[in-house]
Amino acid sequence: MKHTFKGGIHPYEGKELTMDCEIKEYLPVGEIVIPLSQHIGAPAKAIVKKGDRVLVGQMIAEAQGFVSANIHSSVSGTVKTIESRLTSSGQKVMSIVIDNDKQFDEVDYVNNPKNIEELERDEIIEAIKLAGVVGMGGAGFPTHVKLSPKNIDDIDTILVNASECEPYLTSDYRRLLEESDVIIDGLRIVLKAFKNAKGIIAIEDNKPEAIKIMKDKAKQYEDIIVNVMPTKYPEGAERQLIYANTGRYISSKMLPADAGCVVHNVDTIHAIYEAVMLGKPLFRRVMTITGDAANAPCNLLISVGTSYSEIIEAAGGLKDGVKKLIAGGPMMGKAIYSTDIPATKSASAILALSQDEVSMYEPSACIRCGRCVSVCPGRVMPNKLADLAVNNDIDGFLKYNGMECCECGCCSYVCPAKRHLTQTIAGTRKLVLANRKK
Amino acid sequence: MDNMNLKISASPHVRSKTTTSDIMFDVILALIPTTGFGIYYFGMHAAILVVACILSAVCFEYLYQYFMNRTITVGDYSAVVTGLLLALNLPPELPVWMAVLGSGFAIIIVKQLFGGLGQNFMNPALGARCFLLLSFTSHMTNFVLDGVSTATPLNVLKQGGKVDLLEMFRGHIGGTIGETCTLAILIGAVYLLFKKIISPTIPVLYIGTFTICVAIYAVVKDYDVLNYVLGNLCGGGLMLGAWFMATDYVTSPITSKGKIIYGIILGLLTFVLRAFGASAEGVSYAIIISNLLVPLIENVTVPRPFGIAKEKRSSNNNKEEKKASENNEESEEISENKEKDKFDQKGVILAICSICVITVVMGAALAAVYKITKKPIEETTLKAKQDAYKEVYEEAEQINPIEGINYDLLYADLKKEGFGNITIDEINEVVSGEESVGLILLLSNNSGYGGTIQMAIGIDLNCEIKGIAFLTLNETAGLGMNADSKSFKEQFIGKSVNSFKYSKTGAVADDEVDAISGATITTSAVVETINAAIDITNKAVGR
Repeated sequence: MKHTFKGGIHPYEGKELTMDCEIKEYLPVGEIVIPLSQHIGAPAKAIVKKGDRVLVGQMIAEAQGFVSANIHSSVSGTVKTIESRLTSSGQKVMSIVIDNDKQFDEVDYVNNPKNIEELERDEIIEAIKLAGVVGMGGAGFPTHVKLSPKNIDDIDTILVNASECEPYLTSDYRRLLEESDVIIDGLRIVLKAFKNAKGIIAIEDNKPEAIKIMKDKAKQYEDIIVNVMPTKYPEGAERQLIYANTGRYISSKMLPADAGCVVHNVDTIHAIYEAVMLGKPLFRRVMTITGDAANAPCNLLISVGTSYSEIIEAAGGLKDGVKKLIAGGPMMGKAIYSTDIPATKSASAILALSQDEVSMYEPSACIRCGRCVSVCPGRVMPNKLADLAVNNDIDGFLKYNGMECCECGCCSYVCPAKRHLTQTIAGTRKLVLANRKK
Repeated sequence: MDNMNLKISASPHVRSKTTTSDIMFDVILALIPTTGFGIYYFGMHAAILVVACILSAVCFEYLYQYFMNRTITVGDYSAVVTGLLLALNLPPELPVWMAVLGSGFAIIIVKQLFGGLGQNFMNPALGARCFLLLSFTSHMTNFVLDGVSTATPLNVLKQGGKVDLLEMFRGHIGGTIGETCTLAILIGAVYLLFKKIISPTIPVLYIGTFTICVAIYAVVKDYDVLNYVLGNLCGGGLMLGAWFMATDYVTSPITSKGKIIYGIILGLLTFVLRAFGASAEGVSYAIIISNLLVPLIENVTVPRPFGIAKEKRSSNNNKEEKKASENNEESEEISENKEKDKFDQKGVILAICSICVITVVMGAALAAVYKITKKPIEETTLKAKQDAYKEVYEEAEQINPIEGINYDLLYADLKKEGFGNITIDEINEVVSGEESVGLILLLSNNSGYGGTIQMAIGIDLNCEIKGIAFLTLNETAGLGMNADSKSFKEQFIGKSVNSFKYSKTGAVADDEVDAISGATITTSAVVETINAAIDITNKAVGR
């Protein structure tokens, strides 16, 4: 079986910059800003107030409703204020600002003395919920919600998304290499929650070392296999990943659970392990600081709430003439205009580029070469959709399956006329979604 | 740190290196072998045509955009590609001004008036070719090889003849500048495939469908199948059309299923036009007609998006799907989608069928019109010829075609005497009583102002002109058309000279005639034809 999908692109990988950089722990020294909304769903509600002393790992905001997640402090210190602060999304979000006392006094975690084999589903979910684990691949979907589909017995596949198809990023790769046991154990924990499921660790073939080490570790577990996928963007997009590994299709309206799958990012699996076994909440993550304008590209274990400027500083700073800073990878990350923003639970990378390829080219007329259609993993017609979007023809946009676009960016990447296809389509999709909510 | 002057844009933040001009440049590179070959075989004039077409196409685009206040986009090389493709589709001896006119039509009418690059509804180069073909038929179908007008291999095949396949593969045949050398075209095609500029779907299905149809036709007609099929593949514009024109991005379907349908339609249409149409060639018309069908084809082949009700790979998954949907509110949506999909599929098949039927009916209608009108046209032509013969030799009692003439020798002689433009259509003997008293020659001269002039010339054995009549005359009304006036024709009648000359200042000598005012080219062509007739007669009686 060939573990791939139709379409996709091969952009410059840029992974060689940080592939061999071991994860280094960085403890923040500056002010910590922890946004109350770092996940999809309702923002958490602050449970501390100005002047309170908090410890590392202490819950400072609590989930509101089912789709929401708890938030914990990543440093010890005093709550300075609770106010609106700029985040990487470009919007201001209510955040808890903590004066870091650099003591890193930690709360006592309640270790789970049990063996993985003895774990019960309920205690797993409860521990994850308590630890505020969310999807760390980018979307930030609360993990305990993901683990509670309506059809628990139908779930037969737990996918660990280790494809890391987004160029430049190597944080998942480093986790696989350095903490392979933790990842395997994390997957075993999730498998315990689904009695009919087996685990698949899906890795792209540009990470041979990770494949080797994971295959080696997975050998002793019957219900865990490692699938090697060809290197191609967006191999790690949820729907494409599920198709590549199981041959099942889901549309944009469906959830992975509809295809009997639950998909987790590598870092999330790591967080699940820590939450369940060590009782440790999620307040640290690995971030790749890279790009040709970064002085010393590296992988850092950072604390949630640390400002981007401090992280960049810790990573050796930027070269002169940096043109573009991206929160995340080059395909789906967001360009940022200020480094005075905090790292969140789903911040995977800071990419510094000395050249902005987008403004280098002027968009020109579509020559109907069809490249966008042939690379589109969602199998829609981006050129047609962009046309309809520009003409504000919402009915046509829906008829031509505009809502099936996953905004992966492949069409914009390949377009020889350098048209801003993804942006145009994404804009209209947002409009349609906003109208539906009304 | 905040004064870094950072750029902001929506994702993705990287772009592929390929640009529109790169693609156009690759197409130009791929066309170099066949262009070079055409120039090598057809000579200087072919080179001039290529340069003229490219330059004029670029100029027209620049001027149009300049005067219409549009962004100037000549830097994307698309006008160069159009100009080059047009040149490759022109006969090597076409007057330059016609080629430039063609470029103008391609760029301004077909491309810019419909919105410029990416918006043209048919291939600009082919649109221009068909425009020129309709406007200057004789020039556009006059294929000169090694200085002599020749029938194209397709014409030979159409008349049931056989062709030299090796020569065709090498390209040493009559045809347009860029279409003759199959080898050179294939080299370019391989380059395009290698660089992934084109996908093989359209050309392969086009050529494949066409081959199957032609092979069946050859078997039914009891032709030499191999010779007929390969001759049809290498002859005419099929190879150039299939690899370089049918794959034109703008005028071919963008969807993968659409490409399949488009290729098959092209193959069918080309076959129908070539086998049953009036002309031996059909590629240009087949492609531009199919171009018009592209929006329709695309509409019925919108790809099914990822994950929307696709048949499950195995029954196992299917069951799961069902189980999963039973207690799922999305189930309704799924089945709804399935229903819709079935409906869509029906629509697609229906539309494909109707497109195919339309294609076949169109071709059949063309063929039928040709068949129906063929006989009456032939009869009319014959009658016109007989009338003309009577007119040019009033005292003729009997007119018999002469057989057994060595045309090769005759043409060689004519060429030597400077009558290279003349084609001998018929030589008839005029018999009075038992004796042969003169000849009626049917000659064509392709150097008229409006193309070929066909004349019947009556001449007795003393080379006295008995009469002249025009069977084909497409000269300028009011000027060149005056050649058919009594006053002009009478100047020749009754004279017996070695050769006529024309004078613009008034004829003085016996062998001088007054030129038609304002139509020197026509006069020259008519006089040349009559002189050729005198020359042939002189040879015939052994002088």
